[in-house]
Amino acid sequence: MENLEIQRVRGTNDVLPEERLLQEEALARLGEVFALYGYAPIDPPVLESTDLFLRKAGEEIAARMYSFTHWNRNLCLRPEFTASIIRAYVNHLQDRPLPVRLRYAGPTFRYEKPGLVRHRQFTEVGVECIGAEGAAADAEVLAVARHGLDAMHVAGARFVVGHLGAVFELLAQLGMPARAQSLVIGVMDHLSRAPGEAERVVERLAAMLGAGEERDSGDDGGLAELLRSFGPEGAARVAGDLLERANFSLSGGSRSPSEIVERLLLKWHRPDPTPALRRAVDFIGELRSVAGPPMEALPALRRVLADFGLHDGPVREVEAALEYFDAYTGTSLDLRVDLSLARGLRYYTGLVFEVYDEDGNQIAGGGRYDDLVRALGGRAPTPACGFSFGLERLLAAVQRTAPVATPDPLVSALLVPVEAADYGEVAALAAELRRGGIAVEVDVRFRGMKANLRHADRRHIPIVLALGERERAEGVVALRDMSAFDEARVARGEVVGAVLARVRAGTRAEAG
Amino acid sequence: MSAPPLRMALPSKGMEEETIAFLRACGLPVDRSNPRQYRARVSTLPDVEVTFQRAGDIFAEVDDGSVDLGITGYDVVAEFRREDDQVNVLLPELGYGRCSLVLAAPEAWIDVSSVHDLSEVAASIRAAGRDLRIATKYPNLTRQFLYDHGVNYFSLLESSGALEAAPALGSADLIADITSSGVTLRENRLKTVAGGTILHSEACLIGNRAALGRSAHKLENTRLMLEAMEAYLRARPYLSVTANVEGGTAETVARRVIAHTDLAGLQGPTIARVFPKSADDDADWYAVTVIVPRDRLQDAVDALRRAGAADITATQLSYVFQSKAWSYEALLRTIQAPDE
Repeated sequence: MENLEIQRVRGTNDVLPEERLLQEEALARLGEVFALYGYAPIDPPVLESTDLFLRKAGEEIAARMYSFTHWNRNLCLRPEFTASIIRAYVNHLQDRPLPVRLRYAGPTFRYEKPGLVRHRQFTEVGVECIGAEGAAADAEVLAVARHGLDAMHVAGARFVVGHLGAVFELLAQLGMPARAQSLVIGVMDHLSRAPGEAERVVERLAAMLGAGEERDSGDDGGLAELLRSFGPEGAARVAGDLLERANFSLSGGSRSPSEIVERLLLKWHRPDPTPALRRAVDFIGELRSVAGPPMEALPALRRVLADFGLHDGPVREVEAALEYFDAYTGTSLDLRVDLSLARGLRYYTGLVFEVYDEDGNQIAGGGRYDDLVRALGGRAPTPACGFSFGLERLLAAVQRTAPVATPDPLVSALLVPVEAADYGEVAALAAELRRGGIAVEVDVRFRGMKANLRHADRRHIPIVLALGERERAEGVVALRDMSAFDEARVARGEVVGAVLARVRAGTRAEAG
Repeated sequence: MSAPPLRMALPSKGMEEETIAFLRACGLPVDRSNPRQYRARVSTLPDVEVTFQRAGDIFAEVDDGSVDLGITGYDVVAEFRREDDQVNVLLPELGYGRCSLVLAAPEAWIDVSSVHDLSEVAASIRAAGRDLRIATKYPNLTRQFLYDHGVNYFSLLESSGALEAAPALGSADLIADITSSGVTLRENRLKTVAGGTILHSEACLIGNRAALGRSAHKLENTRLMLEAMEAYLRARPYLSVTANVEGGTAETVARRVIAHTDLAGLQGPTIARVFPKSADDDADWYAVTVIVPRDRLQDAVDALRRAGAADITATQLSYVFQSKAWSYEALLRTIQAPDE
């Protein structure tokens, strides 16, 4: 027989009531924490232009986006929040006094191989602090993350703090073109995890950057020199003529003959990227090798930066941010400084950090991204930083360290109309109880008393209130306490008080 | 009522003749009474019904269960695969219909020789406010390949007509298309780029695992086909070489053969005594049989000669059966545990 059931899409989850209650509770608590620091809520759309994330989020995110063409527009499901928040800031909030503090929570989507802790739809809960540069803002974001962990009672979290400034400075010093820099940043995390792969990584990146292929083409260099002697415009004309005579038609298509020839000349004179790549990869290895607690890592990092002829600015910024961060709580914290930390996204420019649970799963991450506002069309250079929790992973960590039970039961009383004719009176009573802040459910299926008692028992509803013709005539309600197995007849006017008293007694008994 | 037949789709046009030849060689001759008919039978398996369809449609036909098995190009399977499809690749390499899906650029783009060049060109076209346009019938494979190789700015033109003409007509900059010899590309003034091979493909056998899992009858017919195909594919690279070698005992002959060659057959040489026709021939002759890969035939002949062989014959093996048909075992496993 044909099965008509439709399954959910792979890598997504149906968050069922028990779990969703925990999620709602967590979202509320985190929202409260963020609000204590002045972060205001914002909710950008799930659907965005693909372009938004290609602009700065990094090359490899493109392959992991749910992107599609809908009536000739390139759209995607957001793979992360920050770019969306900054787009919304640029669109609407540029006139507000800085810093603009924003908090958000919602689903994000990435097409990755699903695993135990990795899903294709997941929930990010975080903040962005737009328009503040420097260590104090970085420290605030770290403190908000820490506060969130405390509010969720996550024990044993580990912070890893890095800074991309050092690597960027080295790459600039090496004169690496933008694409090569981006490739190097892209492999940092991999190098950190697998330091033995350094040489393989250098070879792979060099190949991606076209190392070797130009030098294979014989005496192209001589031709390049000759063409160069004609000057830029002359060279393009001469080369174009030569190719035309050789029956290569350079016209047509998206590229002009001069563009093609210009790029050819440029390519001929490009140095082999391998030495620069090797030095960059060595540097990342050095950064990795001195990672550790701040007391040891900071002085060691200063030495490494000096060895490579770099400023110690990044180390000073990390040091200052950690000092401010300490001032927020004063209590000690499992924290490592590791300047080889890159994070998956390409817009970070300064301090970055990640938080791991006891089992080594990443539960939060963030950092500073001073160029993103401009890259997304902002009027003025606007430094910014932020972070987010992965809600599902955070809750998994909570459940491992300090399991939280789903509130049970969801309602305090079940109201039963004995006959359909009693429904109106029962509905009025339910409204009264709800006004008193008591959650109740009404039997809407008109089942017999026995079935209703069984239902209350199975759902752990502590009180059953029944109302029939007799009760109505007497102006009372039959109240059955499911735990005490006793039934009382309570005057209609005193029902709310009686239920409240029992609910409170029940809560006290549970708490005691 | 008899059980419904196992339905198999074969590619019409393009791969049709090669597919029929392959099946014939497997001992599964397709009996097509009228070449204009789109239905046929396998004469050795009466419960198999064959239809001919376009190679590009066969994946969908197998996926939705219109047919149970299909032979099509791996390129089609790779392009149309989904995580939740019902299709198993039962035999990935049938040994014919080989081709490659490649990126090809205009010859005039003399500055472009590698995929890295393309990523730079894509970025510079992008900077000018346009997209690198790539015409292809394989949008999924092409998109994934470009992303994996750092080419992020492009737009795909899904086209089903003659792609090779698109760059010359100005409707696309590049194409990603199937080529076997490269002649068509050259005729259209296109060149492949280094590292730009997206996929190597050949004919493969696919099946709908739910449909096969539901019917023991279909499954048994599938097993018979897999047995024949697997045995044929396993045998094809090998020759059976037999030589008469003079020697004292079978053991001394065996030692000599093994010492002279590393071609010890699939399981060591088979050695049998030869009984001479005339009684006055008192030499002891043994027939030595080894199985060798086709491309090492001459090595084997030379080695056997060194071991004292005369009269060497070589014959093509038709089928090599092992203790099980492994492709069938693999199919059974996915039917039993579909979610792995």
